[in-house]
Amino acid sequence: MVVNAPAVEKPATAEELAHALHEASESRLAVTPIGGGRASEMGDPLERCDVELHTSRLDRVLEHSQGDMVVSVEAGITIESLQSELFRKGQFLPLDPFNSPGHTIGGLLAAGWTGPLRQRFGSPRDFLIGIRLALPDGRLASAGGRVVKNVSGYDMMKLHLGAMGSLGVIVAASFKVFPNALHDVTVDIACASFEDAWAAGERAMALPLPPAALELLSSGRLMARFLGSRDAVERMVSELRWNRADPSIWVEHSRRGPSSWARIAVPRHKVHSTLTSLPAGSEWWASPGVGIVHWSVESGVETVREARATAEAAGGSLVMMAGPDELRRKVGAWGSPPPTLELMMRLKNAFDPGRTLNPGRFVV
Amino acid sequence: MPLQESVLTTLRKIVGRDHVIDSANDLRIFERDASIEGAAPDAVVLPATNDEVAAVIKVAAQHRIPVVPRGAGTGLSGGAVTIRGGIALQMTRMRRILEIDPVGQTALVEPGVVNQELSLAAAAHGLFYAPDPSSQKACTIGGNAAENSGGPHCLYYGVTTNHVLGMEVVFADGTVHWVSGDAPDRVGLDLCGVLVGSEGTLCAITKIKVRLLRVPPTIATLLAAFPTIETASQAVSAIIAHGIVPAALEMMDQVTVGAVEAHYHAGYPTDAGAVLLVEVDGIAESTRELMSAIRDELTANHGYALREAKTPVERDLLWAGRKGAIGALGRIKPNYYLHDGVVPRTKLPQILSAVGEIGEHYKLPVANVFHAGDGNLHPNILFDLRDREILHQVESAGEEMLRAVVEFGGALSGEHGIGLEKSAFMPWVFSPDDLRTMHQVKDAFDAEGIMNPGKIFPDPGRKQARMPGRTGLASEAQWW
Ligand SMILES: Cc1cc2nc3c(=O)[nH]c(=O)nc-3n(C[C@H](O)[C@H](O)[C@H](O)COP(=O)(O)OP(=O)(O)OC[C@H]3O[C@@H](n4cnc5c(N)ncnc54)[C@H](O)[C@@H]3O)c2cc1C
Repeated sequence: MVVNAPAVEKPATAEELAHALHEASESRLAVTPIGGGRASEMGDPLERCDVELHTSRLDRVLEHSQGDMVVSVEAGITIESLQSELFRKGQFLPLDPFNSPGHTIGGLLAAGWTGPLRQRFGSPRDFLIGIRLALPDGRLASAGGRVVKNVSGYDMMKLHLGAMGSLGVIVAASFKVFPNALHDVTVDIACASFEDAWAAGERAMALPLPPAALELLSSGRLMARFLGSRDAVERMVSELRWNRADPSIWVEHSRRGPSSWARIAVPRHKVHSTLTSLPAGSEWWASPGVGIVHWSVESGVETVREARATAEAAGGSLVMMAGPDELRRKVGAWGSPPPTLELMMRLKNAFDPGRTLNPGRFVV
Repeated sequence: MPLQESVLTTLRKIVGRDHVIDSANDLRIFERDASIEGAAPDAVVLPATNDEVAAVIKVAAQHRIPVVPRGAGTGLSGGAVTIRGGIALQMTRMRRILEIDPVGQTALVEPGVVNQELSLAAAAHGLFYAPDPSSQKACTIGGNAAENSGGPHCLYYGVTTNHVLGMEVVFADGTVHWVSGDAPDRVGLDLCGVLVGSEGTLCAITKIKVRLLRVPPTIATLLAAFPTIETASQAVSAIIAHGIVPAALEMMDQVTVGAVEAHYHAGYPTDAGAVLLVEVDGIAESTRELMSAIRDELTANHGYALREAKTPVERDLLWAGRKGAIGALGRIKPNYYLHDGVVPRTKLPQILSAVGEIGEHYKLPVANVFHAGDGNLHPNILFDLRDREILHQVESAGEEMLRAVVEFGGALSGEHGIGLEKSAFMPWVFSPDDLRTMHQVKDAFDAEGIMNPGKIFPDPGRKQARMPGRTGLASEAQWW
């Protein structure tokens, strides 16, 4: 088998991108959409890749209506440039992914990554209000709108979140954004044991104003961020009696992205048992209030399989975020196929019947 | 077309003979929801379990009979209307709260559970279910999930889709599936996210797992009067620009306030051009500080007669006026046509004056009572159906108002859905390509088109929009 290096396309407009996608699809070439490349090892190794379709030149803020707290951007803009645009106007998008910097908005939505702020603000599922896609048949189609509440037809946004670009290439998105908090305090604490740290985390979550983000680390360290009015935040901070920390610890935290790591997602009440079942000495960081554990995978195939079996038995999943091809091939990126796979396949066949997009990478 | 006797016999076998209704007189009760247009079903079937739902849908699929799931029938866009006849699948016998998990803060309910019943049951554990449509005393959680309903407190807490963790659904082929569940980030496509808000056109919902929230320790509710709708709208923007997202931020115009006050005597200022109802919740330190900042913004924008509820009873009274506003408007005219559209919040003053002008043009009284913080307006056209000529005028006025909403960059519906009522207007916002993607979804789930046919998508066989084509703004802003 001769493997040619894939062609690289960097369209400057959504129309050009749709055109390139359509051409590839007509010629039965396989296309891999690429944003910042920060999640390029997510999913199963590709069966084929003939064309790399980069969104990097689609990097504009299309419109930021400050008073409406709505922003529309092209898919190739990085989260950092978007945040700095918003910051100038006293607003932010509560999306703070790991393996930063350099994620593009389109890549983040397609890969479905989230960070610590999900605790308070939810995921893009909760604040993505509009989307525009290029489809393999060359169409550009939009859904949603630029208002914060909208039930006009099906919620098509949901179909593309976390779908790894398997149904279409996201070319633009609109978000509901949030005002910077009146008061924003970060605290942390180092505990002697896992159980101590767990108990301290529970105490923080039980506060009448729970933290907007709470991260628990395998080292026994906890980090929390309180957002709200000054008096309320200060009361929480003094009740909790952790150490005030510099907010830059969140930037450091977001840099985490080991060479091989997995996301374990379980119901919240299963986080404790998930953590204790990981191999002793494992490095991990978790958002216990969300039900997400990120695990730095240093062990072999069997351990990953065991951890996945535990997660799935708890009603959750273990997904490989990055890792050597060999390991991902052996354990599989996604785990047991969802029981509704047949329905998902119908959607895949409707939108990408020629399997042009990312063949072999996602569950459909 | 009445159903064949053999089909009726099969349906009676599935759900029991008392739970199939097919006498013309009784069927008429199921003709309508809370909107205007009606059409009687050929039979009403009341299943008690998911298996019965599945069996009924299988029979319907076999005979290509339309199936229209129905909750409490409080929908405002004709979603539950059997416009092509067939079976009205009345879900209200399935009304058990199956589980409330105070530790995991979730509830598992059957679709016929009434919205308020769930919050009352959760209250025993210090929890509540956040989406609170004004119809919450009657509407069902199944209907809420099918419409992705909102309510006054959705400004801060989000709408139904943000609170549904998973659902058990029956598809058009009669198969039963769970979509999503307790764990976040399920592997595969987010089917649950697409099924919420699908208005009964993709599946029948037979169980719903929802998130519950802790009841906030303190709630502060304040009413403020404004000389005009414009000043009240500016106050709304000012509060949000200050960095505060209140739990609720509701507006009522003078017509509404007059009717509410006559009915509830809640102390609403009847001389005001508009009133705002603002609520913040959380710990006492927080509500105190936020309320004081809110007061400053309100007064800076010509707010007067500020009144904060001092007791829970006072608070309930302020809310009774808001939640009962639609009913109170019956004092002015016996019928109403309640519209629903969303604009970017900063466009509220413009859209409200456009709505006012349209009402004047048609000589129809219009009352506005709505979720101002979200930019979600509800112009309510008041009329008397005994005047036969008027319905046409009412519809034309409504269409012009919606068109104006879209011209200001808005959406056709914020919470009531498209249903029958607005399907003809979908091409104002969505291009043929956009609509085709939605059709592809419909076909993937229901290729034969038996689930709630004639809804959401423009129906060439029915009324057409008087104003055709996409609006200027929709075609310009192609990326939305
Ligand atoms: C006075 C008044 C105030 C209102 N206030 C609000 C408000 O503040 N916010 C808001 O969002 N809405 C509001 N509504 C609209 C309405 O109450 C909501 O749309 C509600 O969710 C409908 O619930 P229901 O049980 O009455 O559903 P129905 O009207 O019976 O049905 C609505 C739709 O849901 C489908 N459906 C129902 N049950 C199921 C099921 N189990 N599976 C699949 N599909 C199903 C039906 O086919 C139909 O398309 C109001 C209505 C009234 C009359």
